[in-house]
Amino acid sequence: MSSLSGPDVLSADERAAIEALVFPLADDEFVLAERYTEWQVRAPTLESDLALANVAQDELGHARLWYDVVADLGYDEPELLFERDPDAFYHASLCALPFETGDWADAVVRSYLYDTAEGLRLDSLAGSAYAPIANRIERITTEEEYHREHAATWIKRLCVDSEGRQTVQNAVDRLYPYALALFEPGEPTQTDVIESLGLRTESLPSLRGQWIQTTSTFFDSIDVSVPVVELPQGLPEDPGRHDPHVAAWLSLYDDFTRTYRELDRAHTPTITSEHNDG
Amino acid sequence: MELQECKARAGPREFGPHDDLPREYREAATRMIQFHANSEIMGAYLERPFIRQSPSLDRKLAFSAKVQDEIGHGQLLYRAAESLGVKTREEMLDELANGEGKFLNCFHYPMTEWWETPMIAFFVDGAAMRRQATIKRTSWEPYAHAMDKICFEEGFHIKHGEHIMRELATGSRREQQLLQEAFEEWWPRILQFFGPTDDESTHHDFAAEVGLKTMSNDELRQAFLNAYLPKATEYGLEIPDEPRIREEDGRYVVEEDDLDWEEFWAVANNDYAGSHEQIDARASAHDAVAWVRATISGETA
Repeated sequence: MSSLSGPDVLSADERAAIEALVFPLADDEFVLAERYTEWQVRAPTLESDLALANVAQDELGHARLWYDVVADLGYDEPELLFERDPDAFYHASLCALPFETGDWADAVVRSYLYDTAEGLRLDSLAGSAYAPIANRIERITTEEEYHREHAATWIKRLCVDSEGRQTVQNAVDRLYPYALALFEPGEPTQTDVIESLGLRTESLPSLRGQWIQTTSTFFDSIDVSVPVVELPQGLPEDPGRHDPHVAAWLSLYDDFTRTYRELDRAHTPTITSEHNDG
Repeated sequence: MELQECKARAGPREFGPHDDLPREYREAATRMIQFHANSEIMGAYLERPFIRQSPSLDRKLAFSAKVQDEIGHGQLLYRAAESLGVKTREEMLDELANGEGKFLNCFHYPMTEWWETPMIAFFVDGAAMRRQATIKRTSWEPYAHAMDKICFEEGFHIKHGEHIMRELATGSRREQQLLQEAFEEWWPRILQFFGPTDDESTHHDFAAEVGLKTMSNDELRQAFLNAYLPKATEYGLEIPDEPRIREEDGRYVVEEDDLDWEEFWAVANNDYAGSHEQIDARASAHDAVAWVRATISGETA
């Protein structure tokens, strides 16, 4: 396999393909982390509060690892996060969906669905032709496996009685179609290039097939049914990437960029001047 | 153990779960540690919106970690309180939710703007650090032990708060102005952090006699003032005219009568407008996941 060692050796086409591959990875992690942090100081017990905060911070760390890959192509953090248009984000809407207050089943089911998908996605990148992608896989995989175990354990705990199982079932019914959209490409026109360059070594439909298999087996084993979704027509109307119309995402975006906007940081780059009176 | 013996033996880390301590001691220690644990939770609650509102990824990670640390401190402290055998953790968390649980004055006030965050993360945490350092010598060993870890982590929090403050203090003129306004609003509350003046402190004498407390509120307040007033001016902050601060023998002394003690006592009794807001919001979050606690309650630990 040809090897793309780093940002300096890339053609314009290769850069575009790498961006199309990495932005969804980074944005999924970032936006999901934002949702996890909403559980801080609101989780059912102090122990679960601490555990979910760990997961949130891991995901933020992964987001940073992926953003660094695109940063090396010539972006800075404000451009990647705080100044990017909300409709230029590539996260799947699963990550941004709001949840009802107290819906802990949502937190653990979403985590299980996402982390299972993430595990498969990472496997398909371990042999990536672009070295900065392949290099990151091992560290992220270890943490995602822990997250998946944590989520699976919680799902089983909630399934001890019929009421608990029902909340899990409701969350699965609601989230499953959105989770299927994790396997939609960020930029469909780049899919062929991504695969022919060997940036990813497996196709998205194949990963989705494995994901359906794994998640169905798990939920069957605990008597939770998985909705049958016909593809692609069964996907939600705003299933995936590149949809600026989800109000929840816009409100989240508004909140996380608020301080940045209010401080007018765009005009006072703190890295270049410590004392800037504007 | 008789109360008299307890007072005679009182010293740093003198008592632990194996001692048969008088009820008065166990109740006083529970009140003090529960207050401390509640404060960790309510402080975390106040700061949690700033995880989302952080203006950089690094700050976001630091805020998330800080909030997580505070919950961890709460967990440690509830355990130290529980080991006195007076109340269970569940009881203490329920009291916090239903408005009976008391906590630090500063966490009763709303905090909505980024430039307010150093008021907690630098000044209040700095104040907490000073008090907590003295608690390393408290007589209830599990409390002192919890303090070893808490003080260690608190050191990072203060650095994080100071870093945000430095960024604002050396930022645009507008940022400096906003920081000054936040400081003026928070400064009197920060000075009240250490509690009522010694002559009004109902629990101090007993707590001191049995070694739970090693310094009085006023001693701590003055020590904090002398350490932090210079830090504030170093960052270009102007000290408000009220409360008046005078110099005596090279030491700063705050005119305690200038502080609003009426408001302080309303806060202390959970009866301030902000108290209701913070307590109720936290309570509804706590209640919303009661179903999860009920679901897993059958599990053996």
